[in-house]
Amino acid sequence: MNISDKLINDLAPRKFGRWGVIWTWSLIIISIAGIIAYIDQVIKGQIVTNMNDYALWGIYISNFVFFVATSFVGAVTVAVLRLTKNTWRTPIVRIAEIISVASIIMAGITIMIDMGRPDRLLNLFIHGRMQSPIIWDVIIIPTYIVISLLLLYFPLLPDLALLKKHFKKTSPKLSKWYGKLSLNWTGSAAQKILQMNSIRIVAFLTIPAGFMLQTIDAWLFSTLFRVGWDSTNMGAYFISGASVAGVGALVTVVYVLRRAYKLEDYITDFHFDKMGKFLVLTCLIYLYFNINEYLIPEFTSKKEEITHMNVLVTGKYAPLFWFVNIGGLIVPIITLLFEKGRKPLPMFFVGLLVVVGSWWKRYLIVTPTLLNPFLPMEGVPEAWHHYFPSVHEWLITFATLAMALLIITILVRYLPIIPMQRTADEQEALLKIEKNKEI
Amino acid sequence: MSKRNKIRKMFSAIFFLILLIPVFQKLYAQDAEKNRVRLKADYVKIMDGEIYFDIGATSRVNNENIDVANITLIISNEFNDEETELGKVTTNMEGKAKFVLKSLAAIKPDSTNTYNVVISFMGNDGFKRASKSISFKDAIIKANIITKDSVNYMSATLIDASKDSLLSNQLLNVQVQRLFRPLRIGKEFNSTDENGTILVPIEEGIPGVDGILTFEVVLKESDDYGTVKAIVEAPLGIPIVDESTFDERTMWSPRNKTPLFLLIVPNLLIFGMWGIIVYLTVNLFKISKIKNQNQKNENI
Repeated sequence: MNISDKLINDLAPRKFGRWGVIWTWSLIIISIAGIIAYIDQVIKGQIVTNMNDYALWGIYISNFVFFVATSFVGAVTVAVLRLTKNTWRTPIVRIAEIISVASIIMAGITIMIDMGRPDRLLNLFIHGRMQSPIIWDVIIIPTYIVISLLLLYFPLLPDLALLKKHFKKTSPKLSKWYGKLSLNWTGSAAQKILQMNSIRIVAFLTIPAGFMLQTIDAWLFSTLFRVGWDSTNMGAYFISGASVAGVGALVTVVYVLRRAYKLEDYITDFHFDKMGKFLVLTCLIYLYFNINEYLIPEFTSKKEEITHMNVLVTGKYAPLFWFVNIGGLIVPIITLLFEKGRKPLPMFFVGLLVVVGSWWKRYLIVTPTLLNPFLPMEGVPEAWHHYFPSVHEWLITFATLAMALLIITILVRYLPIIPMQRTADEQEALLKIEKNKEI
Repeated sequence: MSKRNKIRKMFSAIFFLILLIPVFQKLYAQDAEKNRVRLKADYVKIMDGEIYFDIGATSRVNNENIDVANITLIISNEFNDEETELGKVTTNMEGKAKFVLKSLAAIKPDSTNTYNVVISFMGNDGFKRASKSISFKDAIIKANIITKDSVNYMSATLIDASKDSLLSNQLLNVQVQRLFRPLRIGKEFNSTDENGTILVPIEEGIPGVDGILTFEVVLKESDDYGTVKAIVEAPLGIPIVDESTFDERTMWSPRNKTPLFLLIVPNLLIFGMWGIIVYLTVNLFKISKIKNQNQKNENI
């Protein structure tokens, strides 16, 4: 068996085993439960949520911000590593592209879930004002979805052509689909030039688009005079936070797929070591921004800022705050600074910790600020000072997370998760170098 | 008794019962306790402007003062023990009503030149009938602005119109109209002298739209003359600089007044990015077409 055949056998999409089927059905069931809850929310209105006049953004928005942050993985790993010519990226870029596509699609859906009247969605386009960051968000999300899809699609073309051949006998129907999607790829020089140019352009485009997406997301908050949000640091803070969430998600998914598809020969300890170093760098940058974000208000001691800080540091959000900062940042940093901490299994747990920490971090960005209103009202109900999501909100939120994982699962089922053609090219090039050395 | 007689008596009984229903209802209604309406009325005369009665209707129900809304009040002129109806008004949801008199000539004064007006409420299911009488004489305020030693003064003279006599020792307020409540100027109490006149210095620096100030000289709720108000406009204020950005392109304007930089920069970015996206999509078609050309070449 030559290199290409071995690669195709190892990396071509395979039917799920028992656990894969259970996993997929679990995600489908959670998604259906969420869809039912959402239909009920549309019928009864947002009264079914625990949002109120103070906490008018709840778990939906924090979940949306999490998805937006996670989608940054496409820009931060694929594009940056490609443009900086880091060759170790090859086995992980496809997974990053898939996570990016799934996250940004779900971000777009989640923001619609938060709308009290989704039937008025079109009004955003008809009556939108360019002065509003909401409109910038409405523009950048579809743009980023298209860019992420292109970033996933262009490098896939040679692999789809390979799969067309591979499945010709075993699954003609699937082969036909791969053939259509491969756009008649023959690997001719002209096609390769066009493809490589396009990949370079889309990789280059992903970076400013990703930065815009994260910055706009940050400006949704910082353009309001709200305590905890009113910060010129917010754009950069969100970009660094998105890098953490994105790389954390990447590490976790890469570990799971490596185990499930037995890809230890392709995604090695070396790759985890590199990803670990990358993650620790992003965590350190984010920690630095966090220190800026929380320390300066302590010094300037504005009353509202101090109240907000007390709520976070010693108040009712203290357990979450310390979990997010210690569990989601400091523990990963300490673990990843050691070589043993950058082995696959510890990295998986670190990645998981980072992702969970990142999700709750967005909850902490959104909720406590809203509960400290800019203009407090007199005699408001006691309930307005507290917010915890209702069953509907939890069901819908879990469903969006399940749907994101479902998109990843479906793409993983039908697409090669490691670029086959590129891996083959790299391995052949390596063999040539070794042969030349021997000669 | 025949069967027919029985039926007749039965129908007669039912008929009388039906007839008596309104009586029972009336009796019941009389038994139900009605509340008393308290009427308040002020006579207001604005010089060279309208003359009206400010009327308020309240009631004490369950130890609580409430405004009596939607009741009809009849306004009459009492003259020689006769009441001449002038018109009707209905109270609003706040229990208030305003009855505008076309002119003071529409009502007749008594021998002492006092006008007597009665405001009556005829009663309804919830409230007893009530009335309120007010009496007033006609007074005039002549107001103008004079300048002495570069200081502007509001000079106002109060006159009893019926006798054409000057009214001394009456308290007049001088104020400038503002959006929410008037801004009083001068001393708290300005008493008219033996010439029925007050002289109140107007302080400088009061802002006004285009520098125009609207002064009011008010005899307020006088027992004899009611409320009389003279209004004088004068360009003595500091012009208010209109700081409204309504017509400007600002961050808080509607979409048709978006700042130009916000139209140009984001649109450049949007079209730039989507231009590249279109170019990349065209590249996909080109990639697909290259195969076709290859195939054609092969076929040839």
